[in-house]
Amino acid sequence: MQFLKKNDYGKYFVDRFGIPEEIIEKYTFWVRGKRVWAFSGEFIDVKDIEVLGIKALSLGRTPKPSTAFLRVIGKYAKKNVVNLDKEKALKFLEGEDIEGNFDVEQGYVIVKSNNDILGCGLYKGSLINQIPKKYRYEDTWL
Amino acid sequence: MDKQKLEYFKQYSEIIPNFDAFMESLEKEQPYWMRVNTLKIGEEELIERLENKGFKLEKYKNLNAYKIVVMPVKHPGATVEHSLGYYYIQDLSSMAPVLVLNPQKGEKILDMAAAPGSKTTMIAELMREGTIVANDVNFNRLKSLGGNLERLGITNVIITKKDAKSGNFGIKFDKILLDAPCSGEGTIRKNPWGFRAVNDREHKMLARSQKIMLKNASKHLKNGGIIVYSTCTFNPWENESVVEYGIENLGLKPIHFDLPIPHLKGVEEWRGERYENSEYYKRIYPHLEDTGGMFIAVLKKE
Ligand SMILES: C[S@@+](CC[C@H](N)C(=O)[O-])C[C@H]1O[C@@H](n2cnc3c(N)ncnc32)[C@H](O)[C@@H]1O
Repeated sequence: MQFLKKNDYGKYFVDRFGIPEEIIEKYTFWVRGKRVWAFSGEFIDVKDIEVLGIKALSLGRTPKPSTAFLRVIGKYAKKNVVNLDKEKALKFLEGEDIEGNFDVEQGYVIVKSNNDILGCGLYKGSLINQIPKKYRYEDTWL
Repeated sequence: MDKQKLEYFKQYSEIIPNFDAFMESLEKEQPYWMRVNTLKIGEEELIERLENKGFKLEKYKNLNAYKIVVMPVKHPGATVEHSLGYYYIQDLSSMAPVLVLNPQKGEKILDMAAAPGSKTTMIAELMREGTIVANDVNFNRLKSLGGNLERLGITNVIITKKDAKSGNFGIKFDKILLDAPCSGEGTIRKNPWGFRAVNDREHKMLARSQKIMLKNASKHLKNGGIIVYSTCTFNPWENESVVEYGIENLGLKPIHFDLPIPHLKGVEEWRGERYENSEYYKRIYPHLEDTGGMFIAVLKKE
């Protein structure tokens, strides 16, 4: 399947999280199927590209940002960011939802704890966990 | 360690200086090394965080390379910081080819046998901006490469799945890393169970495909560009012999280079083959700095 360049998807991050345009402009955005990839290199026309940059969005009724890309640009966000204390951050990384009211709009949010960007959450009255399994904290970790 | 596996290395007694120390080192457990992903966090900040958790880390010279002297977990990657992409576990010897490649901002670099991406991710970290084409034939290893890029937040890599012997990579590159598939003798300490001794015929077959890969690399190199050829094995057929083939047949020129990690020069002669340019090559042995093994050569196209 081909990657099609659609830089408009960058606007999602500007609108939703207030990421400065000059940050988003460092990336080109590429659609393949139901996924959008963010790429910061110079495009090289190699046949049969498997992966171009990293996954930034999954497309559905509303676009869903990826934890991996939020971890890259999340530090520039100005809104729709939830800041958790250490204890709750660990719970969140374990895959739990977090109860509570946060000063963010409904929908996808960036979850952080101090300077650590933990990834994607879904806020609808409480904070629903969106961290992919591969990034979940395991009890043998420190 | 398996006596038979150790026996296998005796064939190199003539070419590896201080051979007894070399043999002893193979039986010793190899320490872990790591480097900080400075695309995400500062060196000092991360080291402090890990030390507060009970790690003891030793910075190597002025490099972003730390020996893990004490770790409070079973595996050095079992931490939140690792999951957040703040560091990468990589042997010091494996960092050497990338230091030699010396990636610069804005360059286009081809990494022909890249998975799981230890060197690709280090290239990205050093160059900050630029473009890397990272290639491998193995699907599962490519998945690990993709996972590592995501975890470390590296966004300037194009992944392809081609045969390095024949693949077309579209353009000519400023620099090419050919970290060739090899018999892996230098990783025996890291993975004694996984190590499989190969016979002469297999070494020769590996050498044959390494030469074809070098030829394809040369085709994709700009004039004035360099190829860093590396393997993690000791066998001269897979090292000196491949590089000399490139010098004699592909018009490539060997280049002198510095390396801040202890090493010795290339082998001059082995089993009837003489290697004219051995003083251009570098070999890292386990008994020099308590690491794995590595061969490195730099070839330039003029
Ligand atoms: C020494 S490992 C590479 C390690 C990697 N450079 C790193 O630092 O993480 C060699 C790689 O070559 C790949 N390989 C084997 N045959 C190949 C071929 N014909 N074309 C491309 N890659 C190949 C293997 O799958 C393996 O991942």
